[in-house]
Amino acid sequence: MMLMLPTLAEPQHFSSLEKLLLAILVAGSIYVFWLRFSIVLGKILNSKNDADFHLFPIGPRIRDFFSEVLLQSKVIGQRPAAGVAHALVFWAFCAFAIVTLNHCLSPFGLGFLSPSGFVGRIYFEIAAVFAAACAFGIAGLFVRRFFVRPKWLGEKLSWESGLIALLIFLLMTTYLGAFFTADASPATRALWWIHTLALFVFLPIIPNTKHLHLVLSPFTIFLSRGGFSQIPPLAGDEDFGLIAGTDLTQLVSLQAYSCVECGRCTEHCPANNTGKILNPKQIVLGVRAYLKDLGPASAEPLLGKYNSQEAAFQCTTCGACEFQCPVGIEHLPILIGLRRGAVNTGTWDDDYGARLFLGLERGSNALGLSPSERDKFIARQQLPSFDGTQEYCLWLGCMGGYDPKGREIVADLARVMNFLGVTFGVLRKEKCTGDPVRRLGNDLLFQQLAEENLASLAENKVKKIITICPHCVRTIQEDWKEFGTPPPIEHHSEFLARHLPQLPPVKDHDKIVFHDPCYLGRYRNVYDQPRAVAALAGRLVEAERNHERSFCCGAGGGLTFLGEETGQRISQVRAAELVATGATTIAAACPFCNSMLRDALATDEHAPELVDIAQIAARRLP
Amino acid sequence: MSGILVVAEQRAGRISRISWEALAAAHRLGDARTVTAVVLGAETETPAAELAAKISGKVLRVEHGLLTPYTADGYIIALQQVIEREEPACVIFPHTYQVRDYAPALAARFAQVLISDVIAISEDRVFIRPLMQGRLNGSYRKSSSGICFVSVQAGAFPAETVIAGAATVELFAPVMDAAQLRTRPGEPYRAAAQTVDLGSAQIIVGVGRGIKSQENLPIVQELAAALGGEVAASRPICDAGWLPMEFQVGSSGHTVAPKLYIAAGISGAIQHLVGMKGSQCIVAINKDPDAPIFEIADYGIVGDLMEVVPALTAAVKEARQ
Amino acid sequence: MKIIVAIKQVPERDAPVCIDAAGKWIEESDLQFAMNESDAHALEEALQLKEKHGGEVIVLSAGPERVATTIREALAKGADRAIHIICDDLQKRDALGLARLLAATAKSENPDLVLTGLQSEDLGFGQTGVILAELLGLPHATLILHIEKTDSGIEVKRELEEGWFQNIQLPLPAVVTMQSGGNKLRYATLMGIKRAKTKELRQIPAIELGVASEPTVLLEKISWPQKQKATQMITGSAKDAAATLVAKLKTEVHVL
Repeated sequence: MMLMLPTLAEPQHFSSLEKLLLAILVAGSIYVFWLRFSIVLGKILNSKNDADFHLFPIGPRIRDFFSEVLLQSKVIGQRPAAGVAHALVFWAFCAFAIVTLNHCLSPFGLGFLSPSGFVGRIYFEIAAVFAAACAFGIAGLFVRRFFVRPKWLGEKLSWESGLIALLIFLLMTTYLGAFFTADASPATRALWWIHTLALFVFLPIIPNTKHLHLVLSPFTIFLSRGGFSQIPPLAGDEDFGLIAGTDLTQLVSLQAYSCVECGRCTEHCPANNTGKILNPKQIVLGVRAYLKDLGPASAEPLLGKYNSQEAAFQCTTCGACEFQCPVGIEHLPILIGLRRGAVNTGTWDDDYGARLFLGLERGSNALGLSPSERDKFIARQQLPSFDGTQEYCLWLGCMGGYDPKGREIVADLARVMNFLGVTFGVLRKEKCTGDPVRRLGNDLLFQQLAEENLASLAENKVKKIITICPHCVRTIQEDWKEFGTPPPIEHHSEFLARHLPQLPPVKDHDKIVFHDPCYLGRYRNVYDQPRAVAALAGRLVEAERNHERSFCCGAGGGLTFLGEETGQRISQVRAAELVATGATTIAAACPFCNSMLRDALATDEHAPELVDIAQIAARRLP
Repeated sequence: MSGILVVAEQRAGRISRISWEALAAAHRLGDARTVTAVVLGAETETPAAELAAKISGKVLRVEHGLLTPYTADGYIIALQQVIEREEPACVIFPHTYQVRDYAPALAARFAQVLISDVIAISEDRVFIRPLMQGRLNGSYRKSSSGICFVSVQAGAFPAETVIAGAATVELFAPVMDAAQLRTRPGEPYRAAAQTVDLGSAQIIVGVGRGIKSQENLPIVQELAAALGGEVAASRPICDAGWLPMEFQVGSSGHTVAPKLYIAAGISGAIQHLVGMKGSQCIVAINKDPDAPIFEIADYGIVGDLMEVVPALTAAVKEARQ
Repeated sequence: MKIIVAIKQVPERDAPVCIDAAGKWIEESDLQFAMNESDAHALEEALQLKEKHGGEVIVLSAGPERVATTIREALAKGADRAIHIICDDLQKRDALGLARLLAATAKSENPDLVLTGLQSEDLGFGQTGVILAELLGLPHATLILHIEKTDSGIEVKRELEEGWFQNIQLPLPAVVTMQSGGNKLRYATLMGIKRAKTKELRQIPAIELGVASEPTVLLEKISWPQKQKATQMITGSAKDAAATLVAKLKTEVHVL
């Protein structure tokens, strides 16, 4: 039983003049679109090849495409209200693809969908639903951008966004309007022409604006690097990182041109939120502006007019930007690439940075302390030496080996492992995994550290590693792959969660908030395991920004080894947020987070207790 | 070839403490009566008299207008003539910056190597000196005939063990010419006084959270003043605004290596430690006996800094009188 | 300016050491080596002078094969070429013997300036530079923090005891020994290491230099110092502890 719904009205007959005008309009519009788009395409294709790019395995790419492009999962998931509005616009565009094609062909008698035919009628009616949703969505987004004016969309009002919004609105309303007119009426023809004009004014605008993402972002998401903060290996003897246009690769260029300027990256950036000049959106747009002005063959430095070195070195590599991006831009390889360009050529002139590098050139740890200090700790704590027979190698790391608090965490983890009867040993000698120098872009030092450590692990026949530091986990598991095959490694939260049933069930009654470390949460997708352990201490509450939204402690990216930060202390902002939950205990799972938060809470006499989850687990022991 | 020559240094007409220690080393090595103390300069009468009143043997005044101010060339030329004249078996120097500037070249003129920074001399003329920045000791013996050149470390041979006596004084005028002095030294100067120059401070008193409140800072400042040193702070103190950021010692502040670092109310967290672990002597004052700072301290006092620091200030003032 | 920088490869600072079986030196098999710290400052000063005034920086070092890594590090930091005097018996030569090796090489290069570090982190004699000046017949200055080129030669800033400094004028050619900390060291970069691959590294066996090598002093044995560093906890009332501490600061630390 067919509902008596209105049908789409279309002019039935087009004069020769109209057909001519239409032909000129279509051809002209497509021509200008192509002219402009081919420039962009040219710049992307003329960029350097990504030597490490692998199309396969293709499964994850298809899966991400389906989820993030077709289902708009990230768009909606991370900003629900605006996200749904955008998703409606996107789905409408998808639905309208056929409608639009038919629209352009039917004046020439080549139309394939008729409003009076069965398929056509249903299709047009479905499209109408989308059109209504889209019109509603785009109107809402217009109000948001021009009246509500959220901070991360930028200070300046974008006329081009307004124009596009208007065009889209026109496209949808002119379509919908034709459901209420008759085929032969002049209103129908007027609506038809307005729709057509809107369409072909829109088309050539796309390549020169952020609406290029309509064309590019499906490719950008499909062609991602295949990991989180995936830093590409340097290609050959003359590659030192992103120094000039000639170093920009096709992926970087593609991503730069895909930016929709939504500002989600900047909204969640801890540096930007505390008064630093770093703005992840501007980093990407700076690369885009560079490509627009100079192209991928230019030798002009990327850090200069288009982006500043100071901003690039304010990044904690927390990953909030890359995680949030709905069009698949990978900010971290770009930022680290810019840092590499400065550090690998010696143009980064920073006292603290130089001291960190010089210390690791000749020493074994990032803190510049004598390895005998680590030996003394191992002796005092009576930690067994790894001899190849134990199940785990307990990797101390710089904090676990030298920081008084890190040592406490290691000691407690050792107690738990002993209680569980899990065998482990510590290596006689460890060198820093190289995490800070990797994130700061010093490839020379990183390679040396990675290779020496890999050789040591192989020599000691290490089969499995457990460690207390998410930075060590990430660097050993992912970053060392470039130079060898690291043994599998897990973070102590993963280990403890697995063994929870074997720990005594006594529960405390604290109110406890868990701070997700960047390198455990966003980098490794581990959110529940540490919470399971933290919950041993009592009732779990969440900070305002938690799980993948967790706000950085400020130590990452090598920044904990650099000098004082400008603006507000990132650690203090996060500490205040954790304290505001009213928790009596703050649980950490990273010795760097622990160190930063400890400092931030130092002058607060009523600060909650700050513990690592290993300490919570150890408290359970008899 | 016999006898021991000791090159003494004078400062504003007075013989320096370490020169007495070099004499003590000489008296350890051989008969005090065979020791000749040498003093150089444009005017040597007063320091020579000071020496002659305290030791036996001989005091040699090596006097020439070109010997003040000190130049390496001047001292090498003069001392070479002295050594050729006196023909000692051994020449002992105090191990000072000045000696390190000329003595190796002087020894090379006699095809010898200076055994420097000696901390002990054994019965059979084996000289002990520190290696690997003091982590090991090396025993050195002369393996060739010829003059033995030695410099002694400050504090290794107590000045009090100098054998008393009365020496004869001789005057010697070396032959030298202005054209032989190839370097032109300027007047010594101190670095310009800055508001906070932690990097070059010899004594630093660091204050941490144990101070509890801003009002208590003066007790630490008084200690620093009494010691003639500077105040520094750990990060939380600067964060709270109790002292400006320039006073911060630690991984995001200054790295210091003074002769003496007193850590008052500092627990010893790694960020602070990495900024001061290079200090030559670390004194820790903390209420918590388990505070990590005690692990790296040379001296530790477990107690309330509100009591210990003022007591220390009083004791320092008394000692300085 | 043609500058020669003499550098020494020493065991990594802070590396745990143990005495070898013969008791004459430390166990080297497990050690890592690095450039002597004050030599690194000498190299840095040379590189800064070259950047300001043009010229060439030549790195010179004597020692076994493993010294090549430290030499290449110097090339990576910006030195133009290097000379490695291959010498497996450095232990058997004294400061004079070593300086003779260096002098034989340096003389033929006719440098404007020769820089060395103040002293080495292992033996710590601090004499090689001064003896080198004597052998080359050149004026010298020690404990220098900074070098400026002048019309008549160079002016150097010398460190004196107790926070005093002194400027000294020297003609060129001259020899200068550099104190640590006077300049900011540059870190090794990937670009530097790659460029270093094409720079000249000339190797000369020590024997070819034909210098006398019999040492005048011999290191007979090495041993642990009696007093190991242990924290002295001072007990008693605040007043007593303060008095004890002050006494120790006077007699043990020599600070009051």
